[in-house]
Amino acid sequence: MADKLRVGISDFQVARAPEILVSYGLGSCLGIVLYDARLQLGGLAHTLLPGARPGGKESRPAKHVEGAIRLMVDELLAAGSDLQYLTAKLAGGANMFESLNPGADDGVGARNISMGRQVLAQIGIPLVAEDVGGNYGRTIELDLATGLLRVRSLRVGELTI
Amino acid sequence: MTLVQLSDGQLDALKEISNIGMGHAATALSQLIGQTVHLRVPRITIAEIAEMPDLVGGPEEVVVGITMQIFGDARGTILLIFPRESVQQLLVRLVGQKPKGLMFDELSASALKELGNILASAYLSALGGLLHMTLFPSIPLLAYDMAGAVVDNVLIELSQEGDLALMVETEFHGQSPSDEVIRGHFMILPDPRTLDVLLEAGRCGHGG
Repeated sequence: MADKLRVGISDFQVARAPEILVSYGLGSCLGIVLYDARLQLGGLAHTLLPGARPGGKESRPAKHVEGAIRLMVDELLAAGSDLQYLTAKLAGGANMFESLNPGADDGVGARNISMGRQVLAQIGIPLVAEDVGGNYGRTIELDLATGLLRVRSLRVGELTI
Repeated sequence: MTLVQLSDGQLDALKEISNIGMGHAATALSQLIGQTVHLRVPRITIAEIAEMPDLVGGPEEVVVGITMQIFGDARGTILLIFPRESVQQLLVRLVGQKPKGLMFDELSASALKELGNILASAYLSALGGLLHMTLFPSIPLLAYDMAGAVVDNVLIELSQEGDLALMVETEFHGQSPSDEVIRGHFMILPDPRTLDVLLEAGRCGHGG
């Protein structure tokens, strides 16, 4: 099997089958998958924060959910995809230290999730599956041959979405 | 001032401050577990946030993270990371038992938080004494999971300001050389503004 392509924090990658994209140990970070089944082409982003600070200059736009989705879409379209063929999946956005954010709704994990859903809806990419929230870390692997996302965690084990 | 602009001299000053702080923490820890413990700071690293999980053993490595906010005359975050084996050794010494599975019982969780509190308080009070500042930690919070996941939660706050963090590596040695070394990573993530304050105070404290 080919080496898996690793996607680090604040980064994203676009690739085609038979590649596998992997992102290790997401806590409150959000993993975002965009996939074109027709071309077996897709992208995976590992984002830290919901959006850029107003007026702030950003050296790494893929650090933010919004920037990462838009950059990935651009790259996928440049690689021959079309918006109507793209589907999305989300994983991560946990709240690792429970009492750090007693109202879990406004924790950064939760804000990452809602920003992800919102930006996808704006662009018009259907969100077909997600495994988000909770208080545990996840490792995610996108198989570009099938578009399936394997989600591994110490707490829950493994599931495929 | 940002982390990337620190000179070697300033890093040395931070390392010296850290060694003194860790010396105080070692005394407190020795009293807690009834054995002499030495703490050493072999290295101070400035790393990209994205690289932090690799520096603590890889993003899927199972670790314990204890995090506290720094309050008082300076602001920031402290994150202590212990690999699973080190935590097991620590718990044997602290409460006389190893954790089963991936959950801590109340006693173990509370012992680890207390450990975090002792280390951070001793460190901050030494640092504060040196710099003529009052510094103290918040209540400790605990997580036991993949390193990547434990680290990212804490780094998020910092990442709004920049992409770099300051990591003080720490080794715990017992009295006898045959004792296994317990390794931990003591990360101090000062606000960029706080870093200025620390370095400025350090300069004055050292008379130039």
